[in-house]
Amino acid sequence: MLGLSWASPYLLLLLPLAILPWLSHNTEKKVVWDKLLPVDRFSTLLSITHKGLASCVIMALLMTLAGPFTPEKTVERYRQGAEFIVLLDRSRSMDDIFARRPLNSLPVEKELIRSKRKVSRDYLVEFVKRRPDDRFGYVLFSDKPTEILRLTYNKAAVLATVEAGGLGKGLSKTNIFSALKLAADMYQREDYRGSRNILLISDGGQVFTDEQKRYLARTYPDMKLSLYWIYLRSMRGMTLDSSDNDSLLWLDMPERKIHAFFKTLNVPYQAFEAGSLEEFSAAINEIDEQQYQTLLVEETLPHQYRTDWFLWLALVALFLLTLSYLYTWWGVRLAYQIRHK
Amino acid sequence: MILSYQKRILLTAVIMASALILIMAALWLPQVPRDVKIMDTLFVLDITDSMNVQDVEHDGEKVSRLTWAKDFTRRAMLEMPCGAHAGLAIFSEARSLILMNPVEVCSSYHDLRQMLEQFEPHMAWARSSEVSKAAYTAIRQAKEIDPQPTIVMLTDGHESPPIHESLFPKFAGTPGEIRGLLVGVGGDDLLPIPKTNEAGEVEGVWAVNDVMHQDVYASMQADTTINTNSPRTEHLSSQKKAHLETLANRVGFDYVASPTKPAQLVDQIREASQTRELTVDYDLYAWLSGLALILILLVYLPYGWIAKTDD
Repeated sequence: MLGLSWASPYLLLLLPLAILPWLSHNTEKKVVWDKLLPVDRFSTLLSITHKGLASCVIMALLMTLAGPFTPEKTVERYRQGAEFIVLLDRSRSMDDIFARRPLNSLPVEKELIRSKRKVSRDYLVEFVKRRPDDRFGYVLFSDKPTEILRLTYNKAAVLATVEAGGLGKGLSKTNIFSALKLAADMYQREDYRGSRNILLISDGGQVFTDEQKRYLARTYPDMKLSLYWIYLRSMRGMTLDSSDNDSLLWLDMPERKIHAFFKTLNVPYQAFEAGSLEEFSAAINEIDEQQYQTLLVEETLPHQYRTDWFLWLALVALFLLTLSYLYTWWGVRLAYQIRHK
Repeated sequence: MILSYQKRILLTAVIMASALILIMAALWLPQVPRDVKIMDTLFVLDITDSMNVQDVEHDGEKVSRLTWAKDFTRRAMLEMPCGAHAGLAIFSEARSLILMNPVEVCSSYHDLRQMLEQFEPHMAWARSSEVSKAAYTAIRQAKEIDPQPTIVMLTDGHESPPIHESLFPKFAGTPGEIRGLLVGVGGDDLLPIPKTNEAGEVEGVWAVNDVMHQDVYASMQADTTINTNSPRTEHLSSQKKAHLETLANRVGFDYVASPTKPAQLVDQIREASQTRELTVDYDLYAWLSGLALILILLVYLPYGWIAKTDD
């Protein structure tokens, strides 16, 4: 009935109590001989209505107590905002120290030693908090990618997932391409709604094959994806773009090759080279607020109690019953007063 | 006691009016604050190959241990009071990977469920199953989470490669510092284990010569008192109750073998947890409508059968 479930269905076994009003004569007046009473169709009807209402009240209250609820269900909601799929590198290299000093230099100041994983978590937390209206999905990848959080508006869940990304150790090798491909596949499932972004958090470390490059060069512009890369440098001073005071060792780093390739992709692309958090949050603000279409999204709601429905039923029935008894009492009192005058 | 008709009608009217007021109160009285005990929980699900064995019942059907574990976790989260937190982790190889830190179960139920649905054998990053070490890593990582969650680890306890009795992996923590439960999954009969490939697809079963039947240490020894000729059954799997019991003792966890009711498991989690008090709004409707019901029943109880009301 109405798709309801019951929290304590055994209380429904008491429903037969509803016949009590039909058995009891507490509210009736006994007369010496009922043939003395005139037959009155209206009174009979009234009496039946009384009993019916009383039964109704008892049943409604019992059903209230049995805890009616509608089970969890999927609802559709209108939402706005940009969409981001976070691709978190969970490879072993992310366990290494963030921006270590070059091996041929001496420590000048006290160094803050933190793993790239921990640093990346701080950046991501900042990012997610900065974009309250956006929808986030989350993929972690090592040598293969796993979609662990589907696109959601729930900030608590996204932040909890981001926080968890900072725990533990890396899994295996880096395969950025597979993650980029999975992100495209995830968007393929969704309706296009104006702003599809991919946020890659990685220290690089992979060179794409020609086939992979062709795939990305074809798919990404087609699907109108934007790409952002939070780059976690392994060595202090290392930058994605080449500069004049480059170390010779940096010229052939895979991350530079990826960076160069991303720039040739015909999509909006921006790399954030993790430096200070302040710089980073300023950079986030630069991501243009674009025009977003509203879109229908599906969300599952946990079960909801429906006790109110039955309370209302009991209320209405009992209200009529009470009125009727107050009226009866008024009438009976009047009759007694007349008799005793 | 015999009441006159007039008084009986008056009494009835008064009782009904009071019941009416109670029902109105049940509908409209604001919720009152009340302290409930809530817990922070981290569900760790075993996703190794042995969890693909189909030897547990769910809705009258034989399903894989993993399917059962996922569904049981979901139902347990539904049973947890709003305000309680739940996080999710998977375990493969020799460690647990926390995927979501504990979040409030009611508001994040949808996302917890969606994440839970993703838990498939293909997520495993290696093809071994070292339950004890995975439990240790879960404990170590739980310490970094604030507030520290209670670990609920759903596993069949199948160690692969096997462990030498006296060379149990060393637990560096303090037993009971992080509280937790080991939830045993799986039947008692030894059954073949479906074998997954790199992509996570099942390809036949693990054959007797695919796996180690002795731990690494013993298998290297020539001494037959150490490298005993034990039965070669490690390619088959059942719920390793004795091993889980030992492991639970070692880390100060409780062990629950094949629970049937999620609500009961939630009670056990609550008992094991260091619960926090949380003030929630509590609806008094049940008390108020219960009282109203009793009043109405008082009117209609057949007193005539017990005492003669005559007038």
